[in-house]
Amino acid sequence: MAGDTFTFMVGGKAGEGVKSAALVASAMFSAMGRSVFQNDDYMSLIKGGHNFSVVTSAAKRKVLSPHMGADLIVSLDQRSHDMHGAQVADGGIEVLNSDAVKANVGNGVGIPMTTEAKRYPRPDLRLGVGGVAILASAIGMDLQDLMAVLEREFPKDLENNKAYASTILALAKGAGIAGRFILEKGGGGRRPIITGNEAIALGMAAGGLDIYLAYPMTPASSILHFLASNDRELGITVFHPENEIAVANIAIGAAATGARSAVGTSAGGFALMEEALSLAGMTETPLLCILSMRPGPSTGVPTYSAQGDLMFALHQGHGDYPRLVASPGTVEEAYHLAAEMLDMVWRFQTPGILLTEKHLSEASMTVDIDTGKTAWPDPVMHSSETGVYKRYLDTKDGISPLLFPPSKELIKWNSYEHDEKGITSEKPGVISQMQEKRMRKEGAIIDRMKGMRTVNVFGRTGPVIFTYGSTTMSVLEALAVGGIEAKVVQPIYLRPLPVWELQKHEARGAIVVEQSAGGQFATLLSDKLGIKDIKPIRRYDGRPFEPTELAKAIKEAL
Amino acid sequence: MPSDELTTYAENTWCPGCGNFGIFNAVKGAIRELGRKGIGADRLFMTAGIGCHGKMFDYLNISGFYSLHGRSMATAQGIKLADPELKVICFCGDGDAYGEGFEHIIFAAKRNADITVIVHNNGVYGLTTGQFTPVSNKGFKGRSTPRGSIEDPLNPLAILMECGATFVARGFSGKIENLRDTLVAAVLHEGFSIVDVLQPCVSFNDTYKLYNAEVEVLAPGDRSYDEAMAMCKRKDRLPVGTIYHITEREPFHRALLGDRRPVKDRLGRDERLASVSNILKNR
Repeated sequence: MAGDTFTFMVGGKAGEGVKSAALVASAMFSAMGRSVFQNDDYMSLIKGGHNFSVVTSAAKRKVLSPHMGADLIVSLDQRSHDMHGAQVADGGIEVLNSDAVKANVGNGVGIPMTTEAKRYPRPDLRLGVGGVAILASAIGMDLQDLMAVLEREFPKDLENNKAYASTILALAKGAGIAGRFILEKGGGGRRPIITGNEAIALGMAAGGLDIYLAYPMTPASSILHFLASNDRELGITVFHPENEIAVANIAIGAAATGARSAVGTSAGGFALMEEALSLAGMTETPLLCILSMRPGPSTGVPTYSAQGDLMFALHQGHGDYPRLVASPGTVEEAYHLAAEMLDMVWRFQTPGILLTEKHLSEASMTVDIDTGKTAWPDPVMHSSETGVYKRYLDTKDGISPLLFPPSKELIKWNSYEHDEKGITSEKPGVISQMQEKRMRKEGAIIDRMKGMRTVNVFGRTGPVIFTYGSTTMSVLEALAVGGIEAKVVQPIYLRPLPVWELQKHEARGAIVVEQSAGGQFATLLSDKLGIKDIKPIRRYDGRPFEPTELAKAIKEAL
Repeated sequence: MPSDELTTYAENTWCPGCGNFGIFNAVKGAIRELGRKGIGADRLFMTAGIGCHGKMFDYLNISGFYSLHGRSMATAQGIKLADPELKVICFCGDGDAYGEGFEHIIFAAKRNADITVIVHNNGVYGLTTGQFTPVSNKGFKGRSTPRGSIEDPLNPLAILMECGATFVARGFSGKIENLRDTLVAAVLHEGFSIVDVLQPCVSFNDTYKLYNAEVEVLAPGDRSYDEAMAMCKRKDRLPVGTIYHITEREPFHRALLGDRRPVKDRLGRDERLASVSNILKNR
């Protein structure tokens, strides 16, 4: 096995059960107490094409990235073999579906998976079950253990699945695969496995979200799907309106009526929300937006990952108003940050962006989440003792108390410049008073952030590596794989950028790792911190950094 | 402008003779009538788009949200969803409702969102000093069509009938009592209400003479879908009053929420954490 990890890769056509095989593999590893990272690579299509999933697990530490050097590869079709056959790690093995792959088996074995599947209805869908049986054999599971896994994970058409899996298990044994890998058990027992988007959805729900609105757009759609199918249990209302413009404006109307509202999209949909984000800035409406990045510009590459919309997120909306942007490094951090951002937008009555990437949105990880630490919104509310209500009361920190209908008081939210009561005004004194009031909130945001964890630092000594978002996980995994000592600095908040924290680290000559061809994160750091001599490491082909390759690039940069 | 309990301190800047004054008076009359029927002003919430009509927001002494051009119908639906006990009145211009934000009004009708959309239909962009709108007649000479519009106008009421609108009416700013009664019925209706108000623009599209000649007050009474559709399509006369009204369709908020009120009946922190822990446990 490669180092302290075990990597299982399965590839085939869309519709052959590739992803479900990987999900079951992840559950099997987690049941052994191992930490798991699962990455699904799929194309923007329904059937055919090439899908593959990678599940990397470890017993003694938290795995933070998929490894492309696989210990066990199951290739269900020719294309999988052609693309991944060479990715077998030292001591690893490739198992081919010999009905679909015409190749010299080399250091692997062939099993007629399709021939066996044809004994049952819908043979293509069954191939993934075969992949699970091969993995079970390779890690030394017996028939009884495998049947228990199937009962838990493939309850549909169970008898046929059991029969098929038993045959494949026997064929694998005959091919000498059985017990090839002995995996160490981890401590702490089985952990939940969730995706980044599920973590964001759960974090928002736990953090008091009332209404979630979205128009489907990969890679944010699974937040919509998850909340729609768990709405009643979580006490949330989910609504999919006509387009992103409606999404953002309906959310703003709901927020102005007291509903904690959030929206989610990728950059194309986010572009359509821009005018409404500025509206939220002017009307001081709390609004949380989840922005999950994929490679652009334009339609780009829908089902792959990137960090090319950082500048777009930082500068969303026209005009001057305080903006909040934060990006989680891990699935666990995504949970807590989603709740914290909901609190932040309500505290400061301004739009906030939770910025993430396809890599975090759709990757699954084993998580330890302490739900007791979830944030809960604590906005400033108007009390009847404070007299006549003014929606835009000019206060020391710029934050005006909120009041929601029904009320005998007049509550006026206004997209035009307005006086304290919310009535439109074009008077120069009123305009500058309100511009200053809104901008004062930025100072209040920074004051609060100074008491919060706004930057993560990993490692104490060695050269400084700046990174953010899920690329942080890629960097940490690369350091573990490459045995490199370095100090990794990850700002969680990107606007306002916690300069007071970042300045504690020697930045000259620092390595900056990101997934943007234009180097947007490096530009942000050099603008805000005045860093010179940055050593950039960038990847922008839609795929996450591979730990071994990244470790090599870091060593070269040092 | 006379001062009263429904008028704010904002300076009124509509042109003298503007049709908006008639609509403003009809709206105030409707609010008083709704109060007599037990719906106090505190249960009303208004939204407005951008244009001369939008100044209603500043002048009318009820709570609300001054939204973006074309988006007041979306804002209104969010308000209704958050607090289903509010009666939401959405003011728009014909550029707002039938141009910039046409998708929102179509979908509001489709889903039977319980909002009342009042369109100040003057057939011209007034605040931007006179361009043709989606409902301007072919040949209309505006500042963007100096040789006359080469497009035929939309028929929004017929379109909204087809989209599933459950309350369809037309008003005229010159017939204040008729408009007031129509507005009261529209707000009381549980479901999507559209009141298209014919309104002359004295500066850029003075239609007083035309409307005074062609407007015809409808006799009360139920009409079938086909009869109402025919009425929406009439070209010789302009019928004003309630054209179509059905109560069979469930309003959107009730279909989505049942009796639940998302804000007032919010699930507490402990219950949410228990649900989240339960979901995590099963993953």
